[in-house]
Amino acid sequence: MIKIEVEKELLGSLGKMNLHVNLAIEAQSFVALSGQSGSGKTTLLRILAGLEEAKGRIVVEDEVWLDGFKALPPQKRGIGFVFQDYALFPNMSILDNLLFVRQDKALAEELLSMSELLELAHRKPATLSGGQKQRVSLCRAMMNRPKLLLMDEPLSALDPLMRNKLQQEILSLHKTFGTTTIMVSHDPSEMYRLSSRVVVLSQGKVVQDGDAKSVLLRTQGSQKFSFEGELLDVIKVDVIYIAIVAIGQQIVEVVLDASEALDLQVGDRVNIGTKAFAPILQKWEKK
Amino acid sequence: MNRLKAVVSSIEGEESLHIIGFDYEGLCLKMMGLDLPKGLALHSHVILSVKPSHVAIAKNISGALSYSNQIPARIASIENGTLLSSIVLHVKSTEIQSFITLSSAQRMDLKVGDEVLLLIKASELFVLEVLDA
Repeated sequence: MIKIEVEKELLGSLGKMNLHVNLAIEAQSFVALSGQSGSGKTTLLRILAGLEEAKGRIVVEDEVWLDGFKALPPQKRGIGFVFQDYALFPNMSILDNLLFVRQDKALAEELLSMSELLELAHRKPATLSGGQKQRVSLCRAMMNRPKLLLMDEPLSALDPLMRNKLQQEILSLHKTFGTTTIMVSHDPSEMYRLSSRVVVLSQGKVVQDGDAKSVLLRTQGSQKFSFEGELLDVIKVDVIYIAIVAIGQQIVEVVLDASEALDLQVGDRVNIGTKAFAPILQKWEKK
Repeated sequence: MNRLKAVVSSIEGEESLHIIGFDYEGLCLKMMGLDLPKGLALHSHVILSVKPSHVAIAKNISGALSYSNQIPARIASIENGTLLSSIVLHVKSTEIQSFITLSSAQRMDLKVGDEVLLLIKASELFVLEVLDA
């Protein structure tokens, strides 16, 4: 069990903001940390790693990492940290990057072979692809058998195919080692696949906390199929109205009745929804 | 938007699938849905809705129909376009709008004041709002 009770004043995008987080995390669980940028996710991760000062209490199993202002230095906390930008030592080989953390060649080789990187062990990071670099960084984070693995948007710089592959690897590493993990993510599919719990921060506070489906499923009454969009136009056709709405990178159309149409103005933020029974799902054929 | 104020009268569930029964001014309505809407429980007050294009109209009907929701109504107004007919119907204390093709409206010879039956599938009725959530 990891108990976190921390407080810190931050300068956010909307001025001063008080990060105040109180969380209990089960051992061996996988928690996704989400929220808009500036909500305090990365700061919370850095406080857990001991890279940033804060007031409060952090207890990991029976070790006290933070007590008031008294903090255990980062190198004494059993953590692994995976950054978005890999942060590998460029002048060292892949293997040496791992051995730098701990001189345990057997573990290093086990991790590299799990990630299909053993053949690249003597290469320098610069010769690897982004996906390979992030796998090395993940292996390195596992080298000191951390009590807590912290990942700050580890996959956001990768293309969808590589992201998918690394999600599988993260999942199998998590199954093999059972490391309690906190991962910052914005990607709903990633959170759904990997995490057993999703915590959403807003303005330094936990605003949602639950399993991925209950936190991420956008619902409106009985509508399980719901998106936010911007109203671009309302056109009268025959006796009905058609609303044209931009959702993400796409434009969709919705049939309205007169009373609904009268209530809307171009530029309105709208919610589009339907019950889960109506949409038709078809596999995307590669042309 | 069609709005029917109703009270939850029954909830049947099978894993995440539910059939919810509602009392709408003495009429029994049924809705099929996945997980229950947030805050919805037995005796909750809700606003139900249905898209006008999902409301069918029947006149002098006989025989069995699978529609879970068969609601007696009286035609209040008809607006005919070139292809479609927008029909407003009195149901109990409220009004429900239906879009049907103009050819259906003409074939059935629908007129203001006609007593008809509204047909809505349980999968197309939805909870717009849980009032006491």
